[in-house]
Amino acid sequence: MHYQAESYGNYYASTVRQSAAVDPLERVVRLASGSAVVIFSLSTCCMCHAVKRLFCGMGVNPTVYELDLVPRGKEIERALMRVLGGGSSVPVVFVGGKLVGAMDRVMASHINGTLVPLLKEAGALWL
Amino acid sequence: MASHRIESDLGHIPYAVPHIIHPPSTFINQEGSAFDFGELEEAIVLQTVNDTKQPLYTEKPAATLEMFPSWPMRFHHTPRGSSKSGEESTDSGSAVHALSSRGEGSRLELESPVGRKASSSSDHHQMIDQMHHLQIPQQLEVASASNSPRTGISQPQLARPTSEKRRGAGSNSERMLDAKTLRRLAQNREAAKKSRLRKKAYVQQLESSRIRLSQLEQDLQRARSQGFFMGGGGGAGGNISSGAAIFDMEYARWLEDDHKHMTEIRTALQAHLSDGDLRVILDGYITHYDEIFRLKGVAAKSDVFHLITGMWTTPAERCFLWMGGFRPSELVKMLTAQLDPLTEQQVMGIYNLQRSTEQAEGALSQGLEQLQQSLTDTIASGSVNDSMHHMAVALGKLTNLEGFVRQADNLRQQTLHQLHRVLTVRQAARCFLVIGEYYGRLRALSSLWASRPRETFIGDDILCQATTDLQMVQQSSQNHFSNF
Repeated sequence: MHYQAESYGNYYASTVRQSAAVDPLERVVRLASGSAVVIFSLSTCCMCHAVKRLFCGMGVNPTVYELDLVPRGKEIERALMRVLGGGSSVPVVFVGGKLVGAMDRVMASHINGTLVPLLKEAGALWL
Repeated sequence: MASHRIESDLGHIPYAVPHIIHPPSTFINQEGSAFDFGELEEAIVLQTVNDTKQPLYTEKPAATLEMFPSWPMRFHHTPRGSSKSGEESTDSGSAVHALSSRGEGSRLELESPVGRKASSSSDHHQMIDQMHHLQIPQQLEVASASNSPRTGISQPQLARPTSEKRRGAGSNSERMLDAKTLRRLAQNREAAKKSRLRKKAYVQQLESSRIRLSQLEQDLQRARSQGFFMGGGGGAGGNISSGAAIFDMEYARWLEDDHKHMTEIRTALQAHLSDGDLRVILDGYITHYDEIFRLKGVAAKSDVFHLITGMWTTPAERCFLWMGGFRPSELVKMLTAQLDPLTEQQVMGIYNLQRSTEQAEGALSQGLEQLQQSLTDTIASGSVNDSMHHMAVALGKLTNLEGFVRQADNLRQQTLHQLHRVLTVRQAARCFLVIGEYYGRLRALSSLWASRPRETFIGDDILCQATTDLQMVQQSSQNHFSNF
């Protein structure tokens, strides 16, 4: 798992500078397309812990953004909440740049067998 | 008159005093339906012993057994053995005649004992064999009922090796015979009495547990229909919240609907309906399941503890509880053994379902563990000063429980839907029938367990009987299972 929480590496810093006036949703999209599997999470959220364990258990290496530790994470959180229309903002999972959804959608897609092909397609899963 | 004939023709045969073992009525009552070999053996031996001692024709027979006074009742022993048998073989001849007449009616009057030569052993054997078949039931009853010393002539007509042995023995062993045999007979009597008592106790226990089971089921039905509504919050026993009470009521109704759906599916399968019709029925059943998950979602908002502790289920189901319900991977595992032969694609589908449910369950369990750890930390920490604050934080964390129960139910729902997708309509119908019956049996197990006999005043053998009793009750409610 890559935690992009407090990294002030070049890429991330430039992203932050560029996105000063950018819509948080666009940020989300850009961040999501940056890796094969992207999880927006909160460090204190137990459900986020569950979704992380799910992907790690499958052998996937997701990129995790802890929104309580990312600068202007609050905006992203609010934006995600609006997008999902649900009570909670996190966890939200993107695979191959495409939105999979919150925990229930992730579980459903795993059970109905659509998640694994998606992961393979995105290159996150090799077996 | 017939007896006269016998006497005149077989002159040297003394008149056979109808010699019947006199059964006191008390003995008959005691026996009831149990046949007692201990007393039978005793009766035979005692008769043997007495016959060697007492002279013949000493007492009158009991009036009750003298059913046909004109035909004297006689007993005769087996043809092989001592000289006594030879002496009385002619008696036996007439006895055969007499007794067989009881069974065969007037026909035998024509049969003349004259024609039978008592000395001809082969005929004699034949007659004795016939007698065996006719007489044994009567004889056994009479012999077993008696406990008193024999009166009158002869020995019972039963080829008992034991009595032969004794007859063959010399006068020397007669005394030993008495002591040992009497002791053994006494022991047999004891054993017989004990087994009678045990049987009675077992039967009583069986009856009482059956009554209790039916009562419990009635109570359960009544409670279900009333919906466990103890006036949530109010009243003395108001330890169930209104949200929980409402859910329990709705769940009870759901179970009844479930039963109806299952019956519908079962009849549809047996009637070999078309796939299209079956699909409609099956979709209805899936919707029925969706309904309970929706209800659980509503209940989780108002009382998550009621769901997660499994107070809405029966004890046996609670034993297997995982996050407020059944464990999907366990269900799939149970089904793989029950499903029909599957195509390779289906096998892969079920295998993948098994694996994905296991992974999802593991992830959710770990998430819940983290929640519990965090809650523990919050409750444990905190000084007296800011205890309220910590309580508030803990309360906030508790709200996450609802999320986990929701996700677990979501997992269960998705599992059922996936089963519906992987299998053909017919297979899916059978599969859901299996699921319904499985949980029905689990619920029945709970009620059987609750009503199991628990008396310990009877000995160990009754405890063993209790388990067989339980099995018998289960077997007798096989129909009950199929109703589920």
